Amino acid sequence: MTERSVIHATVTVERVFRASPARVFAAWSSAEALSRWMSPVEDWQASYDHFDFRIGGGDRLRFGPPEGEAYVTESRFLDIVPDVRIISAGSMSTAGTRVTAGVLTVEFKAAASGCRMTLTEQTAFLDGHERPEDHEAGWQEILNKLAVELAREQQAA
Amino acid sequence: MSEPSVVHVSFSIERRYDASPARVFAAFSDPVAKRRWSACHDEGGLGEHMLDFREGGRETMRGAPAESGVYAMNATFQEIVPEQRIIYSYELLRDEFRLSISLATIEFHRDGAGTRLLFTEQAAFLDGHDRPEWREQGSRIGFDRLAEYLAQEQAPA
Repeated sequence: MTERSVIHATVTVERVFRASPARVFAAWSSAEALSRWMSPVEDWQASYDHFDFRIGGGDRLRFGPPEGEAYVTESRFLDIVPDVRIISAGSMSTAGTRVTAGVLTVEFKAAASGCRMTLTEQTAFLDGHERPEDHEAGWQEILNKLAVELAREQQAA
Repeated sequence: MSEPSVVHVSFSIERRYDASPARVFAAFSDPVAKRRWSACHDEGGLGEHMLDFREGGRETMRGAPAESGVYAMNATFQEIVPEQRIIYSYELLRDEFRLSISLATIEFHRDGAGTRLLFTEQAAFLDGHDRPEWREQGSRIGFDRLAEYLAQEQAPA
């Protein structure tokens, strides 16, 4: 029998982007945009099996190395305030094993140079499969990619 | 409308019950049992209750109309490990206002002939509609009621 354990932790990451809150919010609200930057390791890929961006809607994301076991997250959007915040709840699995469950809050606020975005992940880490510090590192990489995505959009405009 | 705000908190409650993990778990998994002890306020009581106890299933509760408004809880089960662990996400609403979005973890540990229950709630409180200390107090009342329910169930009819 597997030894059961739960570690409850909150991971908070804040970033200022040179883009309006509306543009940063938009990058979170389209599967096409998200699949370009929502992956926590340099050359991993992300794709959405399902994305229904409305309160009560949900999404199913797969991400992982080009060849190898993918992670799957299934979430439901519970609160959406356009250009202000997105809150979802769900769980993540890999190889058929659930590794985390949690609530994710993303807040967008106007800052002098653009948008101050605060991401708060309140998570139950299950049975020692994942660690909070790895999630924090993963989010930092994801937000690096989001910054590139916003800069590219800016240049294209 | 109130200024948008999110306050993230986490609290834990630990209890010991003179009942086996199987019996304490059943108080959460059986709709009739759950309904008997789970109203968190006397006021208004529990109006409607629906429980679909499986991973991905929902639980909804709606209080009877009261002076303070109609409270509604909508939960989704993220993980169920029989007699060991229940994890669910939920939102609490009062009339049309969403008060909070949470992840709740209930861990059941055998303790002699009884059970040590550990409840952890990780919550995002929205727009100042509710207070973490009220939620914790309401949860404690719920676990007191569970003790009463288990004692009654144990006593010969």
